[in-house]
Amino acid sequence: MLKLLQNEWMKLWSKKATWVMAILLVVGVAGMLGLTKWISTLEGNEAGGDGVSVEGPAASPDWRAQTESERAELTAQLADPDLSASRKSELEDELKVAEYRLAEDAAPHESYSREQLIKDSSGIASLGMLFAIIVAAGIVATEFSDGTIKMLLARPVKRWKVMTSKFAATVLFGALLMLIGFLTSVVMSYILFSPDGGTELAVRGGEVSEISIWSPALYYLFLGFVNIVVYTTFAFMIGSVFRSGALAIGLSLFIYFSGNTVSMLLSRYEIAKYLFFSHDLVSLAQGMTFIDDVTLPFAAAVLGAYAVLFLAVSYLVFSRRDVTA
Amino acid sequence: MVHTAAEPIVRLKNLTKTIRGKKIINNVSLDLYPGQVTGFLGPNGAGKTTTIRMMAGLMKPTSGDVIIAGKSITQDFEGAMSHVGVIVENPEMYKYMTGYKNLLHFARMHKGVTKERIDEIVRQVGLEKRIHEKVGTYSLGMRQRLGLAQALLHGPDFLILDEPTNGLDPAGIREFRTYLRSLAAKAGVSVFVSSHMLSEIELMCDRIAVIQGGKLLDIREMKEETKPHHYIEARPADRLAALLDSKGYKAEPLGNGFIIEERADNIPALAKSIIEGGLALYAVRPHRRTLEDEFIEMTGGGQIAETAAE
Repeated sequence: MLKLLQNEWMKLWSKKATWVMAILLVVGVAGMLGLTKWISTLEGNEAGGDGVSVEGPAASPDWRAQTESERAELTAQLADPDLSASRKSELEDELKVAEYRLAEDAAPHESYSREQLIKDSSGIASLGMLFAIIVAAGIVATEFSDGTIKMLLARPVKRWKVMTSKFAATVLFGALLMLIGFLTSVVMSYILFSPDGGTELAVRGGEVSEISIWSPALYYLFLGFVNIVVYTTFAFMIGSVFRSGALAIGLSLFIYFSGNTVSMLLSRYEIAKYLFFSHDLVSLAQGMTFIDDVTLPFAAAVLGAYAVLFLAVSYLVFSRRDVTA
Repeated sequence: MVHTAAEPIVRLKNLTKTIRGKKIINNVSLDLYPGQVTGFLGPNGAGKTTTIRMMAGLMKPTSGDVIIAGKSITQDFEGAMSHVGVIVENPEMYKYMTGYKNLLHFARMHKGVTKERIDEIVRQVGLEKRIHEKVGTYSLGMRQRLGLAQALLHGPDFLILDEPTNGLDPAGIREFRTYLRSLAAKAGVSVFVSSHMLSEIELMCDRIAVIQGGKLLDIREMKEETKPHHYIEARPADRLAALLDSKGYKAEPLGNGFIIEERADNIPALAKSIIEGGLALYAVRPHRRTLEDEFIEMTGGGQIAETAAE
């Protein structure tokens, strides 16, 4: 099985397009951070001027006023008797953090600080989604369109094994892109932005504690990777069922870009909760959600179920197909 | 022939394939023997490709089975396929990789193919000089060689070739033919070749199996003593016909003359009687019935195989 994966990996990197994708990702992520830097200069509220780092408490004094108003808002929201249990505990945690900040004089990170950008790196890295989808869509479909499928399947290897190696290569490629994007973003954050000396806080076991910036950064990176896996599995399925890479790329990207809008429109209905494109785990973990009552474990379960379904369809169709082309 | 002594390496057992209610292959049974080259002939649409794809694991039989080296392709797919090498028409390789990487790729799908073995096979097919170049730059002939190399990597006992000489030039075909024959003779490989080029099959094969309308029509040995025939041309033609008839020959007209079945020993006497009969004798020569004649006779003229299903 490992040899089959080696094969897929070799084929993948023998294509120029793969290298172009990897390079584009690095350039794209670096470019986006460059753009962010430029915008921050225009707005003039970056942490330190011209790369000179500012030590100690945050440079911007407004954070207290902001946190105060945040606290007031959270308290108001918590007064609502209709709150679900999960939402309630979420808000309570946020309130605890806000109170801790005010009491301990622990400033949050500025939006254009090195820390904040590292924390958000997984979001920028998800640019790799586009390329991961392209590869997932084509990994089975191109064997058919190039005619190599005959050579590949007339071997003493059962088809489900071939399929597994292809899926594994897809997931591995997605993970690699995510990592490349993340590292590029982190490196660029170090080069372009200065630290603001703010404090990252989290509620652990009911207590607010100071944590390293890497903890949320890597957590979001992992969640972003889960997102990539779900979309690439979808593309993988379409590509292997319809043997058309173009269709798979088009459909997956269409859903990726318009899915959010669709589920927003449907958000009043129960069904929105059960659509895979409604759930972006990273946004969920950051507390951004437009469907009430969706918790991270619930969303993860929905995504997991879809991924299993997509895979089952791909395997079933592929192992039964007569190769006639 | 000797084949009856040996155990068959491949057995098709009542192989049947139904696609959308239509019987494409109908109950085909066929044994193939080590060291033999068997040709697989049939008009277009007769079911050659479907049969071959079922033997190569690319299509699943609706019923029946293919047994390769004692292993059933439906029960023990990997066991059966480990004895098979396949070249499907125009071997499509990964064009963006070098020839070597292509071979490496396929070698990894078989057990026990070493790097030395890859190098050996590259030498055998004569691709040493270009093996590290991308397949996209290869000529058709080179791609055919590479196709042969990938099929032989793991030392198969059974080689399936689907229209192997498509697009090869005459020299290439000849070289290919010689190579196949020696493979069968020296390594005892059983070779199964489908083609619609009859003259090709005739030169390459020990045996032919003819399929039409999804049914196996005939299996015959190629090197059987075919009955000798002669071509005779004399004028006036009607008197020649009468003369041949009076001597008890069944004369078939061909061009300006006739074909008769007769051994060479008796030809001088016949010629003498034609001349003595006052006819002008223009030509007497041995006539070799080609596979094409037999094929057309067997399939009733060839391309009208639309009556497959029943």
